[in-house]
Amino acid sequence: MGWIWTLLGTPLVTGLLAWRIKNQNVCEKFQLAGAFVTLLAGLAAACQVLTGAPIKGGNGFFYVDALGAFNISLIVLVGFTAALYSIGYMRHEINEQVITEQQCRLYYLWFHLFLFTMLAVSVVDNLGFLWVGIELTTLVSALLVAFYKKGTALEAAWKYLIMGSVGIAFALLGIIFLYLAGSHLLGEDPRALHWSVLSQVAEHLNPKWILVAFLFVLVGFGTKAGFAPMHFWLPDAHSQAPSPVSAVLSGVLLNTALYGIFRVFAIANTTLGGKAGQFLIFFGLLSMAITVPFILVQHDLKRMLAYSSVEHIGIITLGVGIGGTLGLYGAFLHMFNHSMAKSLLFFLAGNINQKYHSKRMDRISGIVQAMPVTGSMFLVATFAIAGAPPFNVFISEFTIMRAGFQAGHLWAAVLFLLLVVLIFAGMVYYVVKMAFGQAPEKLQKKEIDRWSTAALLIPLAAVVVCGLYVPPFLSQTVHQVSQVLQGVHR
Amino acid sequence: MDQAIAFSLLISTWMLFQIRRIGDSVGILAFQSTILAFSAGAMWYKTGISHLLIAAVLTLLVKALLIPFILQYTIKKIDIKREVERFTSKYISLLLALALSAAGFYLASRLELPGKEHGQPYLAVSIILIFLGTLIMIDHKKAIMQGVGLITIENGLFLIAQSLSYGMPLIVELGIFFDMLVTVIVIGILSFRIHSTFESLNTEKMQNLKG
Repeated sequence: MGWIWTLLGTPLVTGLLAWRIKNQNVCEKFQLAGAFVTLLAGLAAACQVLTGAPIKGGNGFFYVDALGAFNISLIVLVGFTAALYSIGYMRHEINEQVITEQQCRLYYLWFHLFLFTMLAVSVVDNLGFLWVGIELTTLVSALLVAFYKKGTALEAAWKYLIMGSVGIAFALLGIIFLYLAGSHLLGEDPRALHWSVLSQVAEHLNPKWILVAFLFVLVGFGTKAGFAPMHFWLPDAHSQAPSPVSAVLSGVLLNTALYGIFRVFAIANTTLGGKAGQFLIFFGLLSMAITVPFILVQHDLKRMLAYSSVEHIGIITLGVGIGGTLGLYGAFLHMFNHSMAKSLLFFLAGNINQKYHSKRMDRISGIVQAMPVTGSMFLVATFAIAGAPPFNVFISEFTIMRAGFQAGHLWAAVLFLLLVVLIFAGMVYYVVKMAFGQAPEKLQKKEIDRWSTAALLIPLAAVVVCGLYVPPFLSQTVHQVSQVLQGVHR
Repeated sequence: MDQAIAFSLLISTWMLFQIRRIGDSVGILAFQSTILAFSAGAMWYKTGISHLLIAAVLTLLVKALLIPFILQYTIKKIDIKREVERFTSKYISLLLALALSAAGFYLASRLELPGKEHGQPYLAVSIILIFLGTLIMIDHKKAIMQGVGLITIENGLFLIAQSLSYGMPLIVELGIFFDMLVTVIVIGILSFRIHSTFESLNTEKMQNLKG
C-alpha cells in the first residue's frame, strides 16, 4: 500500500511546490525530481503486483491488479519522459517570449495534477470513483489544452470540455445501471460498485441491465478514448496543446479511458457470455476506417499524428474485441508500443514545430539537414507507428491480425490489413517529404535543446528494442494483463 | 406530493426556454436545484435512508447556492451583452422542448425501467431533464449556456439514480458533487478567456479548426 500512497502523493506535492518555487532553474529540476519519484513508485507498485499478488487496501477503496499496474507503468513512464522533455520545450517558449516564467510554473502545476488524476483512475476499485477520476482528467487537461491563450487553443479546449463532459454523462448513466444490477444481487452496499466484486459475481447479474450499462459506458468513455464517430474533439485538442501535453494525451490519457471501458467490458463479457466483444470490433474498425481520409489529405503535422492515435486506439479495441489469448496479448502489447511510439512522435513534432515555427507540413522540409538527431528519429518513429518492420508496432499489429484469422473474424482481419496499408502509405508519403529536401536557408542548423533531445532516447529505445525482440518481463506483464480480461482471478 | 415536485421540476426546465437574458438562467437553475433537493428530502422522509438527507443538503449547498454563485460571478465579471442567442426562435425552442417532454413521457412508459416504489414518479422527469439539457446545449450559441445545459443533464442523472436505486453510495455522490463543482469552475475560467480573446461568448466564432 505504501507505494500507492507515494504514487498518488508525489505528483500532488510536486505540482503544488513547483508552482510556488520562484527560481526557474530550481523549479524545473524540482518537478523533474518529482516525476522521477513518481516513476519509481509506479514501477515499484507494478513490480509488487506482477510478481506477487494484487494490492488491496484503504478499506477496499484501492485495488490494483495486473491491468491497473500496466496502466500505471505506462502513465509514469510517459509522464516522466514528458516532464524531462518539458524543460527544454518550455525554456524555448520562454526565450521566444511566447509565455512568461509565471505561466511556465502554472504549467508544471497542471501537468503534475494531470498525472495525478490519471493515476487515481488506475488505482481505485470503485467504478463510481473511476468515473469521477476520468471526469477530473478532462477538467485538468482542458486547462492544459487552453495553455496558449490563442483563439484556436480555446476553441479546442472548449470543444474538448463540452464533448468530454457530455460523453462522460452517458458513462455515468451506464454506471448507475451497473450499480442497479449489482445492488439487486448484493443489496444496497457500496461494494455493488466495485469492479473486483462485480467481476466475481458477473455470471449472476441481470444481462439486460448489464448490456445497457455496457453500451452507455462504451459510448461515454469511448468519447474520451476517441472512438469514431465521437472523436471530433481529439484532433483539435491534441494539435493545440503544448507538445509534451499532446504526448501525454495521446500516449496515456486515451489508454486511461480505455482502461475504464475494459474494466466494465470484463464484467459485461462474462455476463453476456462473450457477446460484448462484437461491439468493440465494430468501434475498433470504424475508428480505423474514419481516420484514413483525414490522414491522406492532412496539412497539419500534429493533427495527422492525432488522427493516427484514433487509428491505434481502434486497433487496440479491435484486438480486445477479437479476444482470446492471442488477441488480448496483441492488444496490450500494442497499447505499450503505441504509447512509446506516439509520445516519441509528439516530442519530435514539438521540436520541429519550434524550429520551423509552423505545423503546416508543406512549410516544413529538410528536417534531417536542419536537425540531424530529430530528423533521423522522426523517420524511424514514423516507420514504426505506421507498422513497418523491424519496429515494435509491427509485431503487435501482426499478432492482432493473426488472432483475427485464428478466431475466424476473417473479414475483420482483412479490413484491418487493408486500412493499415492505406494509412502507412499516407503517413510515409508526407513524412519523407518533410524529412528530406532543402532546409530553409535562414534556419539555424541546431537541435532545440539538450533536454528535449535527451528525452527522446527513452521511448526510442523501446521502439527499436521491442521491435527486435519482446523482453521477457514485458511479454510476461502483457500476458498477465490478458489474463485479467479473460477472467482469471488470482 | 411527488407529483407536485416532479411537475415543478418540469416547469422550471421549461422556463429555461423562455429566458431573454443569460442571467435569468442562473436563477432558474438555482430554483431547479432547490426542487431537486426537495425531492431527495421527500424521499428521505418516506424511506428513512439517511444518505438521501445528506444528498439533499449537499444539493442545496452545491447546486442551488455555490454553482449559481459561480455562474453569476462569471457573467457579471465578463459584463457582456447579456441577451441569449439561439439557433432557433424562442417559440420554436419551447415547442421543441414540449415535444421532447412528450417523447420522454412516452419513453419512460415503454422502457420498463425497474424504478423504486417512491422513485417511480420521477423517472419520466429525469429522462426529460436529460433530453432538455441536451437541447439547451445544442440550441444556444453562448458558451455559458452550454454549461447550463450540462448542469441540467447532470440534474437529470442525479434524479435517475435516485429513482432507480435511491441514489448511489454516499461517497460516490460526494465525488460527483465535487466533480460538478470543478466543472463549473473550469467552464467559468474558459468562458472568461474566450470572452477576452474573441470579445464575445458566441461559440459560432470558434470554428477555425477543421479537417
